[in-house]
Amino acid sequence: MTQDNHSGRPQGRPPEGDGRVSRVEASLRGPFLLFFVSAVVWLLAASVLGVIAALDLGSLQGGVFRDCPWFTPGRVAAAQQGLFVYGWGFNAFFALNLWLLSQLGRFEFRNGWLAQLGGVAWNLALTYGVVRVFAGELSGFRLLDFPREVGPVLAVAFLLAGFWPIVAFARRPTGHTFASQWFVVGASFAFPLFYLLAQLLVLWQPASGVVQAIAHSWFVANLLQLWFGASALAAIYYFLPKVLERTLTGYYLAPVAFWTFFLFAGWTGPAALVGSPVPLWLQSTGVVAAAMMLIPVIIIAINVHGTLFTQGGWTRAWNDTTLRFVSFGAAAFTLAGLLGGVFAFRAPSALVRFTSFGAGLEQLLVYGCATMVLFGASYFVLPRLTGALWPSAKLVHVHFWATALGFVGALVAWLVGGWQTGQLLADPAVAYADVLRAESSWFFMLTISAVLLLVGHVAFALNAFGMILKSSAPAASGRHD
Amino acid sequence: MKNLNTLLAGVFLAVALPFGALVLSGQSQLGGLGRAAGEEGGALFPSREPGQAVQGRAVYVSLGCVSCHTQQVRPAGQGSDIARGFGVRPSVARDYALQPQVLLGERRLGPDLANYGARSSKINVETLLTDPASSGAAWHPSYRFVDAAQRAALVAYLKSLRQDYPSPEAKLKK
Repeated sequence: MTQDNHSGRPQGRPPEGDGRVSRVEASLRGPFLLFFVSAVVWLLAASVLGVIAALDLGSLQGGVFRDCPWFTPGRVAAAQQGLFVYGWGFNAFFALNLWLLSQLGRFEFRNGWLAQLGGVAWNLALTYGVVRVFAGELSGFRLLDFPREVGPVLAVAFLLAGFWPIVAFARRPTGHTFASQWFVVGASFAFPLFYLLAQLLVLWQPASGVVQAIAHSWFVANLLQLWFGASALAAIYYFLPKVLERTLTGYYLAPVAFWTFFLFAGWTGPAALVGSPVPLWLQSTGVVAAAMMLIPVIIIAINVHGTLFTQGGWTRAWNDTTLRFVSFGAAAFTLAGLLGGVFAFRAPSALVRFTSFGAGLEQLLVYGCATMVLFGASYFVLPRLTGALWPSAKLVHVHFWATALGFVGALVAWLVGGWQTGQLLADPAVAYADVLRAESSWFFMLTISAVLLLVGHVAFALNAFGMILKSSAPAASGRHD
Repeated sequence: MKNLNTLLAGVFLAVALPFGALVLSGQSQLGGLGRAAGEEGGALFPSREPGQAVQGRAVYVSLGCVSCHTQQVRPAGQGSDIARGFGVRPSVARDYALQPQVLLGERRLGPDLANYGARSSKINVETLLTDPASSGAAWHPSYRFVDAAQRAALVAYLKSLRQDYPSPEAKLKK
């Protein structure tokens, strides 16, 4: 393995005044805005469903949507997750990954219409999938809940919309590469592979018996780590040195972090099946892999937190909108990695299994890390692409505080509530009804958190859409605030 | 890291190796499982699903029951599943060998259903769906829109879920 850029700072950007910068950004405007606007619309829809899901959970027996077939707790949960993950998470990372690699590789995007075609196909397939989920055509496998005919369309749409970062990497004019590029190329190449294999073995040609569960756990681990984790890390590795104008601490370790992250992540799936009727060697492999993931997590922590903890990094991060979100995401990544490693072991895993703890760990990565990083990146990228400034600083504050508090509140409810429920469940003397009663005491907090998240997302959407509508200049005159 | 092909080859291996080692070798180890007798000359288990249960499984999946109910009993020492009476023995892979769609579940907001057919439950499923408050499980969502035929199919499916028979692996685990 060679390492080509030892400086720990993104090197792809030419000096100010180079006309290619504006050409690069101008060429991205169309596809970027399509992905971004779709992402935010899906985010709003998912947030509304999040509130409905929390209300459903908080008052299962007599909620607002009682007896409404479209809003059974199972269907709302499946639709909410589908919209959040495939609507927000994918569209937003299509936009950001493309922008990142175009910047770092000085890639002028001449076939934007192909990416836009992919984006339209992706969103149409997603809409169809969600409608079918509401109508009750679920698959029963979380995050693969859309009817199976949606899978191949999403895969083809991904190749059209999400493969361009690899092209940008291949056509970069310089030999230099940077950690962000490796992570984006890895994420963009890995997703179609594991998505199609999972579709095949879970939905189209289901494997026999519990092998379906093994394939599903493998898919979920890949989706969370290799798409959300890797894409978010790419952005963290870009924005941190870029905005701080500093090199990353111990950047020479980054290639080790990249390879160990990719090589171990795919093996962690069966750690979610500890105690399940699958072979013990599979469970143990998952546990060992989850523990091995501590290696990249620690290296990334050295790179990221080492930088933030020196020369007033945290203060500067706090005072910069982009970095405030991005460093929140970086801290969430480290916490997710540490907790994921510890709670993969048999004893703690058995205690929190089947409680909300697992959802908490997952959201720590998908929301706490990836989504917060995406928000931070938007504050950096959008002004450059639209040539306008963010219309309201107040809405930016509302956005940060509502999402940060909403997320932390939900996280506490998931993790502490899950731990508490696990302890009660482990004691057979505690009646099941009492376990549920204890668990439901957290539902109120989850509802408040869901409302806060919705408020934050609405503030973000108002600001972003206001900015896009106001902008008329095609490129680069704007600067991020 | 300069070379795109090296990068792509590494990422390909990062996806393909765990897939081969976990999923494909899992399939080769478990794919051949079928019905078997727990004792020499004994009856073969798991039983085949009755037709109505097959329809009931579709209702179970369609309502999204799997988001709150698991179907797996963990061994003693890992949780209190057996002590709570969810099952009489831990679930084994063979229990699911005939199921076209394995719904192990990841979350327990309601009780486990792996061995529901063999358990004595005071709760009437039909009442649970139409009027949870009077069924004794007031926290359960109401599903009044489910028609009588679907309810009957769902009950048949739940009754078909049994893991109380001996099987070669279950005996070993006991």
